[in-house]
Amino acid sequence: MIDRILILSVFIVASCGLAYELIAGALSSYLLGDSVLQFSSVIGCYLFAMGVGSHLSRYVRDDDVLARFVDIELLVGLLGGVSATLLFLTFSWLAAPFRATLYALVFAIGVLVGMEIPLVMRALNARSAKFSDLVAKVLTFDYLGALAVSLLFPLVLAPRLGLARTGLLFGMLNVAVGLWTVWVFRSSLAKPAAQVLRGAVVFALLGAGFLASDRLVTWAEKGLFGDEIIHAVTTPYQRLVITRWQDDTRLYINGNLQFSSRDEHRYHEALVHPALESAPWAQNVLILGGGDGLALREVLKYQNVKSVTLVDLDAEMTRLFSTSAPLTALNRAAFGDPRVTVVNQDAAQWIEHSERMFDVAIADFPDPSSFALGKLYSVPFYRLLAKRVAANGYVVVQSTSPYFAPQAYWSIVKTLEEAGFRTWPYHAYVPSFGEWGFVLASTRGAFAPPQHYRIQMRFLDAEVTRGMFAFAPDMPRPPVEANRLNNQSLVHYFEQDWHRVIR
Amino acid sequence: MDRRSFLLAAGAAGAAAASGAGFWRWLEIPAAVRAPGRELGHLLRNPGAAPAPRAHYETDVVILGSGAAGLAAAWRLAKLGHTRFIVVAGPEPNGNLSSGIAGEVRYPTGAHYLPLPSRESAHVREMLQEFGLILDGAQSERPYYDERCVVHAPESRVLIDGLWHDGVLPADALPAEARSEHQRFFAQVDQLARARGSDGRRAFAMPIVESSADSQWRALDSMNFAAWLDREGYRSTALRWYLDYACRDDYGRACSEVSAYAGLHYFASRAGEATNAERGAVLTWPEGLGALARHLAQSAGLSLNATDARSTMRLLDGAAISLREIPGGVQALCASLAGGGLETYAVKARRAICAMPLQVAAHVVGNLHELGFDAREHLPAQAPWLIGNFVLSGFPKERPGAALAWDNIVLGSTSLGYVVSTHQDIRVGPPQRTVFTAYHALSEMSPRQAREWLMRAPPAELLERASIDLRAAYGWKLAACCERAEITLRGHAMAVPTPGYLSNRGLLALRETDGRILFAHGDLSGYSVFEESTWWGDRCARRICSV
Ligand SMILES: Cc1cc2nc3c(=O)[nH]c(=O)nc-3n(C[C@H](O)[C@H](O)[C@H](O)COP(=O)(O)OP(=O)(O)OC[C@H]3O[C@@H](n4cnc5c(N)ncnc54)[C@H](O)[C@@H]3O)c2cc1C
Repeated sequence: MIDRILILSVFIVASCGLAYELIAGALSSYLLGDSVLQFSSVIGCYLFAMGVGSHLSRYVRDDDVLARFVDIELLVGLLGGVSATLLFLTFSWLAAPFRATLYALVFAIGVLVGMEIPLVMRALNARSAKFSDLVAKVLTFDYLGALAVSLLFPLVLAPRLGLARTGLLFGMLNVAVGLWTVWVFRSSLAKPAAQVLRGAVVFALLGAGFLASDRLVTWAEKGLFGDEIIHAVTTPYQRLVITRWQDDTRLYINGNLQFSSRDEHRYHEALVHPALESAPWAQNVLILGGGDGLALREVLKYQNVKSVTLVDLDAEMTRLFSTSAPLTALNRAAFGDPRVTVVNQDAAQWIEHSERMFDVAIADFPDPSSFALGKLYSVPFYRLLAKRVAANGYVVVQSTSPYFAPQAYWSIVKTLEEAGFRTWPYHAYVPSFGEWGFVLASTRGAFAPPQHYRIQMRFLDAEVTRGMFAFAPDMPRPPVEANRLNNQSLVHYFEQDWHRVIR
Repeated sequence: MDRRSFLLAAGAAGAAAASGAGFWRWLEIPAAVRAPGRELGHLLRNPGAAPAPRAHYETDVVILGSGAAGLAAAWRLAKLGHTRFIVVAGPEPNGNLSSGIAGEVRYPTGAHYLPLPSRESAHVREMLQEFGLILDGAQSERPYYDERCVVHAPESRVLIDGLWHDGVLPADALPAEARSEHQRFFAQVDQLARARGSDGRRAFAMPIVESSADSQWRALDSMNFAAWLDREGYRSTALRWYLDYACRDDYGRACSEVSAYAGLHYFASRAGEATNAERGAVLTWPEGLGALARHLAQSAGLSLNATDARSTMRLLDGAAISLREIPGGVQALCASLAGGGLETYAVKARRAICAMPLQVAAHVVGNLHELGFDAREHLPAQAPWLIGNFVLSGFPKERPGAALAWDNIVLGSTSLGYVVSTHQDIRVGPPQRTVFTAYHALSEMSPRQAREWLMRAPPAELLERASIDLRAAYGWKLAACCERAEITLRGHAMAVPTPGYLSNRGLLALRETDGRILFAHGDLSGYSVFEESTWWGDRCARRICSV
């Protein structure tokens, strides 16, 4: 019976040991990237530390084996249990070097775990008979424990509980093994009561952490974003974080601000209404990007619009903005409107193969900050777009800031012209972005800034609209080239422009 | 890193850690090796008793080979309204224009780019216009191209001491005297690109037969390129490495083995310009020039699985094992391994266009020597190539410096760098998969040694050689995101323009044959590029239609 208990504890101890290693590896690759490097260095450090622990185990006296085993269980439980939470907090709140903390923790846990099996073997050896049986049994359960966790961790624990809580859970298991050992061997231990007390404290600590860990993680991310986080997901394409502070809801994609609910109406009214007000015959509208549904909300205000196709790469993004209550409150449940079709595909690839025609197309892409994104503002891309839009229909393009990035902005205008469009550049002041630019374009149609709007608006009226289409003397049009794929001048302009602004 | 792949990584790492030593196994790349044409080559060299033909076809023109030359011949025939011809594909459909596909990503297993065609390559411009790739002014000084196929920025970068630099000869990374030599070299080449001979033709034109016959330039064919560079005082290590790279890239061999005329022709013949791209830009597609093969075949009405039985234009699977003249025409005996066993069929035609490599034609065409070509004397040296396609499930982490370009090369390497098949994509997010294609002309060995090595090297060794530059760029991080590799061996990939190639009598004779059997293959030019192969195919078709 006693044997079996020790063997069972080997199983649990081995599972816990591997779990800490996986958690450290996963967390560091999550936070630092480059998973192979993180995993292999964590595993290396851990295995080495285990070797050190095995070596140190010889210094434990024979009659102390069980007592030390219990101490080690409690210590491993504590350290391993809080490791993920501690690392997360270190990364987001403390200036402490993350990597140093990581490897110190991994090493310490490794040393302790390395001592466990030798101690158990010695405890068993003192009691049972055959050494060959003993080695076989202990190692079998050691590896079985590892197998169990290696499967449970990626499939169940990490996705369901998250890393912080998985760590705490295994910590509690370690402590439980320690407490159990104390109970079973109470007669042969010197101070069982003190150990039980210590174990109970650690267990309570970990348990409390387990219950509060959600809040801890939120608090940690708040360290990164400043405001309270109401949603945070990592999709296959990007990390979406939604924060709230008083009545201000914000969306960050990969840490960059996408909108603030305080002034997004300015951006989206400016993006949508000059074109849609001028196309009262428009029935089919295309939105490229815009998975937050805010441009969509504006488009849907027009009764003449019969169908809107929204193409956004990220299914998680459109799902979030069509289900989460605070977000659907923002876009007025735009995704629930029967006129809307959502296509979760790469918009640029989609348009290359689509055969449909639209009256108005709105391109709301990320800024041309890389060669890959620059292609979404190129002559051939606009030619593709032109094929999908009625000759007298309109295209609207979000096109960075004409004030901060004048070369980039006017290069987009030039590119549209090169692709066969007539253009009507305009801009609006959006406090969280600054002076922001758009280009309205049409291959055949004429355009004049609307004198009045059929829709009640917060920002736009005739006066403001007239101002939008005028450029102040401090925003002149510089001589720039169109963005050809062969040289991608736009990306260089964008880089130069913002380099001047951001010191 | 996204959550899904970190969970996978966690799972993989967990399982590996549990199995102890398994972790490093995880970093192995599974490789598949193919050697197109090898089986047929051996069949031709040891012709056993071929079974009697199972089928007989009759047609007006039979085109033997479906590489650039064969396809161009079919394309021109179809354009001239000729509808009775058969193309025998040969062991590798599309020949050196072939390509593969992994999921949705296409990639080249042969030729991958085309320089903006010069005015002499009118036939290529005509194709590009027909395929919608030139939008305007096909035969003008500067045509307007569909930018999707003009290589997108950044075009190239070079790895020097662990740091990536823009371009191939980055001024900022080289010593001052090297820079001045480069300037001198490119100024000289620029002059040569504009030079004309006493006959009014350009000194270095493509196709090569349009070049001036002026002896002033032809004399360059009597020495090798390295000797010429020495004579002209070009000594900068970086420049010499680059020129060597260029020769290996285009001709498969080093400067010292290539004719000086050819070495200069590489730079001086590429005078094409575009309204909407910079000088020196090139055209490329995800599957390389495989895209042009597809367009040509489509335009010529060819498809391997043609279901339209009435069609008189066909593409047949199989390869010719003999071609001979018979009264009133020619007869080709062809073999196919399609059904598992060896089957044969016969094709009778009025005329044949022999669009297979001369190496093969020497075995297939009975009376080649009567036409003035003696294989032992006239067969150009052949450079062997190794091509590695690495299918990646993500982009490996880059070293510092310039971002991933279309063409990525490593300074000082014996290999030729790698191209990125998804480079021309226009998309919002990164593709799920990409293919890096590494090229390696085995110029560090003699062609014969290299072919022997290709015959016996195990896959792991081939993989190692094919990935020299990728490993220099990414180390073991490559394997971590590499799903698998496909390795293509081309033992006789291309003719090498060695000194004297312009006056190879055998080639000159085959170019002019106008009897029952005509020849169309890049080999006729003595070096291997798309423009040349298609030029010969085009000319054969025109001769047959007498235009
Ligand atoms: C690795 C590599 C990279 C290259 N890169 C470029 C590049 O970037 N740009 C460029 O312009 N050029 C490039 N080239 C050269 C270019 O690919 C060739 O010039 C061109 O494709 C050759 O076409 P071809 O028709 O002359 O010959 P091949 O491609 O050799 O075609 C020969 C055809 O004959 C068939 N055949 C063989 N034996 C028989 C038989 N017995 N019966 C019937 N048919 C037969 C074959 O199946 C094949 O279809 C490259 C070549 C290689 C090898």
